[in-house]
Amino acid sequence: MIVLVGLNHKTASLSVREKLFAGCEGKTNLLGELSAIDGVLEILHLSTCNRVELVAAAEDAPQVLAALRSFLVRSGNLTEREAAACLYGYRDEEAIRHLFRVASSLDSLVMGEAQILGQVKEAFRQALAGNFTGIALNRLMHRAFRTAKRVRTETGIAANPVSVSFAAVELAKKIFGTLAGKKVLVIGAGEMAELTLTHLIGNGAEEITVANRTVLQASALAEKYHGNAVGLANLTEALSDADIVISSTGAPEYIVTAEMVRQCLRKRKNRLLFLIDIAVPRDIDPAADDISNVYLYNIDNLQDIVDENIKNRHREALKAEQIVEEEVAQYSKWLKELKVVPTIVSLRNKAESIVRMEMIKAQGWMAKFENGDREKVEALVNGIVNKILHAPVVVMKEESSEFNSQDIVAAVRQLFRLDD
Amino acid sequence: MISPEKIMFTLALGCCGLATAGYLLSLLVKKVALAKASTWILAAGFLFLTVNLIVAAVNSGGWANFGSRHFLSVYAWAISGIYLGLQFKTKTRILGAFIAPFILLFLITAAGQGSEKSLVPTPWQGWFMTFHLVLAITGEAIFVLVSCAGAMFIIQNSLLKHKKLGSMGRLLPSLGDLDRINHLGLLWGFPLLTLGMICGAVYAASFWNHLWTADPKVIWAFAVWVIYGFLLHQRLAINWKGLRMAVLSCAVFVLFLLSALLIRFCFSTVHRFI
Repeated sequence: MIVLVGLNHKTASLSVREKLFAGCEGKTNLLGELSAIDGVLEILHLSTCNRVELVAAAEDAPQVLAALRSFLVRSGNLTEREAAACLYGYRDEEAIRHLFRVASSLDSLVMGEAQILGQVKEAFRQALAGNFTGIALNRLMHRAFRTAKRVRTETGIAANPVSVSFAAVELAKKIFGTLAGKKVLVIGAGEMAELTLTHLIGNGAEEITVANRTVLQASALAEKYHGNAVGLANLTEALSDADIVISSTGAPEYIVTAEMVRQCLRKRKNRLLFLIDIAVPRDIDPAADDISNVYLYNIDNLQDIVDENIKNRHREALKAEQIVEEEVAQYSKWLKELKVVPTIVSLRNKAESIVRMEMIKAQGWMAKFENGDREKVEALVNGIVNKILHAPVVVMKEESSEFNSQDIVAAVRQLFRLDD
Repeated sequence: MISPEKIMFTLALGCCGLATAGYLLSLLVKKVALAKASTWILAAGFLFLTVNLIVAAVNSGGWANFGSRHFLSVYAWAISGIYLGLQFKTKTRILGAFIAPFILLFLITAAGQGSEKSLVPTPWQGWFMTFHLVLAITGEAIFVLVSCAGAMFIIQNSLLKHKKLGSMGRLLPSLGDLDRINHLGLLWGFPLLTLGMICGAVYAASFWNHLWTADPKVIWAFAVWVIYGFLLHQRLAINWKGLRMAVLSCAVFVLFLLSALLIRFCFSTVHRFI
C-alpha cells in the first residue's frame, strides 16, 4: 500500500513550512529513521520551499500514516493545532494521485513550472542511493516521471510564460527570432528591469547598456552584466544602437519620446525595435507604438498576456488531470497485481519442482530414448504444466486488480498446498 | 501500363495535397508539430517531382523539349525546393501553409496539361532557351516565396501591434525571420531573374536579330524586373525594412499575378506555352 503524508503552500503558512523544513533537513539520517518505523517497507522524502512530503510503501496503511504524521509533528516541533490544520495524509489511489499531480506541477504554486520535476527526481535519487526504495516505490516514481512527461508534452500547461519578465522574452523572440547578438538598453535600474534583463541574457542577448540619471548608479548594474553605463544625456545615441529597450525609471514625465524613437530609427537603418516600458508612470511615449517597425509594450500589456496564459494553463490542467487519472489507474492495477506475485511465484516453483522430481524418477525408462527424445518429453510436460497453471494465474491477476485478492490467494494457497 | 514518369508525378501530387492539408490544418488547430510533419511530406513530394522531371528529361531528350505539364511542374519544383532550402536557414515551417497551396495549384494545373505538346517550338530549342526558362522560373518562384513571407509578416505585425499575440501569433514565425526571407529572396531572386532575362534577350537577338520584342509577356517580365530591382535597391541602399517591404512585396506580387492572368487570356504572346 502507498501512503503519503505532508504539507504544502496551500495548507501551511511559510513559518510552519520553515519549521518542518528545518526540522527534517537537520536530521543526518532522516530516511534511516523513517525506514525504521514499524510497517514502513520503502520510504522517500520530498522537500522543497513549498512542500515537505513523505511517501512510503507500507504493510498497514492506517498505522504507518499515523506514525509518519507523528514523526513530522516531532521533527517540525508542530503544535497539535498546526498539525491538524496543515498536515494531510493520503493512502492508496489518493496518495498516488497526489504524487503524480505534484510531479506534473499541477499542485505547484505556479502551475506548469518545470522545477518541481527536478526536485522529485532528486528526492528519488537520494532514496535510491540509500537503498530505501524497492519495487513499489521505484515503479511509482518512474510512473510519476512518465506522467509528468506526458502532461508536459500532451498538454500546453507549460507552453506559455506566466511571469511578466518571461512574457517580455517571448515577445522579443517573436519579434527578432533569435536574441543572439541583440543589444539591450536598460533605462533606470528597477528590480523587474534587472530580472527581465537576466532572462534576455539567458536567451542570448549580448551587449548591455545601462542608462541612468547618474552614471555612477548605472555603472553598478552595467558592471554586473559586463555592459556600458551612460547618462540620460546620451540616451538618443544609446537608443540608436539598441534592439531591445527596457525602461523602469521613477520619472514623472516621458524619458523616451516618439520623436526620439523616430529619429533613432533612421540612424538604426529601420531595424526592428522592441520597447518594454515597465515603469509607472510610463517612461515611453505611447505614440512611439504608432511608428512602423517599433513595438511598444507597457506593464499592462505584458500583464494581459500573462493573465491570458494563466487562463490557458488552467484550461490545459483539465486535460492534465485526465492523464493523471489514466496513470493512477494503471499503477494501481499493477500494485494490486503485485500482491498476488508471491503466490504466483510459489505456484510456479512448486510445479517446476514436481516436474523436476518426476523427470528424475523417469530417468531409468527414458535411458533407452534416442537423441532429443528426452528433451521432447520434457518440453511436452512443461507445456502441459504451463497450460494448467495459466488459468489460475490469470484469474488471480484479474481478481486482484478488481477486488481484494486476499480470498483468492488463500484459496490457491490451500488448493495447491503452497504453505506446506 | 502506367509510366514511371506518371507514377512519380501522381506521388508528388498526392504528397503535395497531403502537405497542403496538413499545413492548413496546423493553422486551424494552431499546432506547429503538424506543420513540421507536413514539411517532411512536402520534402517527399519534392523528391518524387525531382525524379519525375529527370525521367521526363530523359524520355523527351532534354529540358528544352518539355511539354506544358513539365513547365508547370518545374515551377512547383522550384518553389518547393527554395522553400525547403529556406527551412535550413530559418524556423518558418508554418510558411508552408501559404506556399503549399501555390505549389498544389501549379501541380493540379500541370496534371490537366499534356506532356506531349512541346513547350518550346522546335526551331527555338537550345541551351540558351533552357537557361532562360530555368532562371526566369526560379527567380519568379523566389518572388512567390517573398510575397508569402510578406503576407505572414503583415499578419504577425498586426497581432504584435494590437497586443494580441495569442496562439496564432505563437504559431507564426518571428518578424525577424520573415524579414530575412524578404531580404534573401530579393537578393537571390533578382539576379536570377536578371540572368534569365539576359539569356532570353541574347537568344532573341540571335534568333530574331533584335534584343527587344514588344511582346506583352516580355513587357510584363521587364516590369517585374524593374519593380523588384527597385525594391532591392530600396532595401539595400535606403534601408527599407520590415512592414513597408512586406506590404510592397505583397502588393507587387498581386499586381503581377493579375496582369499575368490578363496577358494569358487577353493578349497574344510568343510566350504562350500553356
